[in-house]
Amino acid sequence: MELKVDKKSGITVIEIIGDLDGTSAETAQKEISEHITPGCSLIFNMEKCTFISSAGLRVLLVSAKHIKRENGKGALAGLSGDIKDVMEMTGFDHIFNNYDTISKAIEAVRKEK
Amino acid sequence: MERIDTYPTHKYKGFNLRPGRPIPFGATIVPGGINFSIFSSHATGCELVLFKKREPKPFATIPFPDAFRIGNVFTMIVFDLDYENIEYGYYMDGPFDPQKGHRFDKQKVLMDPYAKVIGGRDVWGEEPDWDDIYQHRARIVFDDFDWQGDKPLEVPMEDLIIYEMHVRGFTCHKSSGVKHPGTFAAIREKIPYLKKLGINCIEIMPVHEFDEFENSRPSPVSGEKLMNYWGYSNVGFYAPKAGYAATGRFGMQVDELKTTIKDLHTNGIEVILDVVFNHTAEGNEEGPYISYKGVDNKTYYILTHDGYYYNFSGCGNTLNCNNPIVRGMILDCLRYWASAYHIDGFRFDLASILGRDQNGAPMNSPPLIESLAFDPILGKCKLIAEAWDAGGLYQVGSFPGWGRWAEWNGKYRDDIRKFLKGEAGLVGAMGQRIQGSPDLYRWHESGACTSINFITCHDGFTLKDSVSYNGKHNEANGEDNRDGNNDNDSWNCGWEGETDDVEINRLRRKQIKNAVSILLVSRGVPMILSGDEMGNTQFGNNNAYCQDNELSWLDWDDLKKNKEIFNFVKSTIAFRKAHPVLRNKTYFQDRDSAESGYPEISWHGTKPWDADWSDSSRTIAFMFCGKQAKQGKGNDDFIYTAINMDWNMHSFELPEIPEQLKWYIVVNTDVEPPEDIWGAGKEKEIENQFEVSVGPRSVMILIGKKSN
Repeated sequence: MELKVDKKSGITVIEIIGDLDGTSAETAQKEISEHITPGCSLIFNMEKCTFISSAGLRVLLVSAKHIKRENGKGALAGLSGDIKDVMEMTGFDHIFNNYDTISKAIEAVRKEK
Repeated sequence: MERIDTYPTHKYKGFNLRPGRPIPFGATIVPGGINFSIFSSHATGCELVLFKKREPKPFATIPFPDAFRIGNVFTMIVFDLDYENIEYGYYMDGPFDPQKGHRFDKQKVLMDPYAKVIGGRDVWGEEPDWDDIYQHRARIVFDDFDWQGDKPLEVPMEDLIIYEMHVRGFTCHKSSGVKHPGTFAAIREKIPYLKKLGINCIEIMPVHEFDEFENSRPSPVSGEKLMNYWGYSNVGFYAPKAGYAATGRFGMQVDELKTTIKDLHTNGIEVILDVVFNHTAEGNEEGPYISYKGVDNKTYYILTHDGYYYNFSGCGNTLNCNNPIVRGMILDCLRYWASAYHIDGFRFDLASILGRDQNGAPMNSPPLIESLAFDPILGKCKLIAEAWDAGGLYQVGSFPGWGRWAEWNGKYRDDIRKFLKGEAGLVGAMGQRIQGSPDLYRWHESGACTSINFITCHDGFTLKDSVSYNGKHNEANGEDNRDGNNDNDSWNCGWEGETDDVEINRLRRKQIKNAVSILLVSRGVPMILSGDEMGNTQFGNNNAYCQDNELSWLDWDDLKKNKEIFNFVKSTIAFRKAHPVLRNKTYFQDRDSAESGYPEISWHGTKPWDADWSDSSRTIAFMFCGKQAKQGKGNDDFIYTAINMDWNMHSFELPEIPEQLKWYIVVNTDVEPPEDIWGAGKEKEIENQFEVSVGPRSVMILIGKKSN
């Protein structure tokens, strides 16, 4: 798994590439938390994320709670149908709003108060 | 501040270790590692065996150093494990001396009895690798589900309407229209249906990990593979069945089940688990080593003096429930399900075994049953006993309940069925069953709700089959029709099996409605078998334990075909929920606590206040006084029910009620829909306020109230 971070006019877009699982979860969590700052806006680009395991889902959940604590905003973009399905069935679909594309996610995060 | 116990003290072949904590048993995530803890009273040594997920060979075997053993518990923390991608088991060393009850075999990889996630049967029916040395593989659980404020619902027993269901059977049929048939996720998809039906509790047949391939064989009738479909044979008590989860292939069954429970709770539906603590899937001396047999055979099983397995379960072995260690394991397990899964209650399969001592003899005050009754964590959980076992112990009415336990009331089922088919000599018994069986349970502190009233359950005919078959037709089970109950108290209404005969089918529908009507006006807790509300048939198979196919799966097209039955069941449930006088936890009072001039229940016959209790009688009527609802605190209508199980029509003169009230018809099973049942507020005023004609084999329910 690889993380690519891009900042677009005040919004941090973190691209998750590959499998987010038990092997990569700890590193991913550490890297993501570096970008969670007071009032931050974070979008996870999931277009190239091929699989999320239980540990991976917990990375997203912990990040969501962390972002909330910092009064920040977060969203997911480009989840594949299969991952979306797994997230729904395991109750992880409520943690972030999910948008089809990055631009829609950026728009939504901007509008969010 | 960093804790010093997050640092290792020992090293073994590159693994960092330190002495573990004996409690909790099982494998627990701790800072930096996993705490492994397993007990065995008779083992002389133990090794932890680690596999990479689904790999055939272990990548490490780590002996528990002597210094790590506390009492009879082997415990160790192993640091830096990729705990999402490992599976673990144990090698146990000790004597192989069957006569003395010991069957240690240090060549066998054994599953942790406390395993919270079990792999190996990740996808239902997917043929396993039979050469695998470790068939049921313990994994590490993430026990940090985000419940978002959910808690068990604690619906009062008297308000409960239970729906007994099977995870696969409920949605496996192609007609179910769900995304992932036969799974926990699919139950979630069907919540709107359950709400429409009106039930507020599902009782799920076993969801603990079991092996669907146990005793698998081809059907002599269809050639299809017969499987352990019902799952009354535990591999692990702490783990949900992976094959019941759409996400089981990813090992996410725990989260999927919890999400399903959370959503059911949000929609006002409780979850009761059917738990099987009477035996395990290890069978007798011929059966496989999975866990308990190799970990501590003499502790886990009831054995004869020469080391053979007692078989009070009918399944090869009997769990030694009143051994203090096993008792502790069961208590820990139920506490775990109640707290980690927010389970609302448990139904104990063959619960009488839980009251047998270590020699198999029934006990007067079984400590396990008492412990469960008074346990603080289980304090609000429903505890329901199937109060008999396969060893001949039948305790309906005498199961020691300490005011906490309810019972599946087998006598309710038997008496109602006999009365429905027109047997004589049952009016007296009907009087008891309708009142919540005070003859059986009056001495119980838990009152009328001790009685779980049911006419059908997974064992035996479906309701449709109970009015369509005189005898069982279990040939497809491959046991020459020897299996299954012979005493079905069923009546085929004139033809064995499916028929096009209009009159027979009409009578069958009527009998179904009669049964449902009686069930939902009886005091106690009603339980409906999933599918009965849509006229589900198993074509006369009364023991479909091995039929993982369309014989068992609900055909959702039946909802259209039998819309009349669904509407009737749904409306009768709504009627029960609308009338508090039908739902009371105490037995009927002989006194007039509301000063209404009427007793809470009064008995009538074809003449008011004159019930015919004689042996030849097949008619009975009873009236509830709504003013007496909830010990006089409720305010309900009069409800009058006339049951005529004679084959002739009978006129019933109605008891007098206060003059400002009039009689309205709610149910008349003798007429065709839509006049068979009238919804709340739409009840039809009857023309003759003094007398009604109740058709042959029919039930009529009236309410006495002010004008609509």
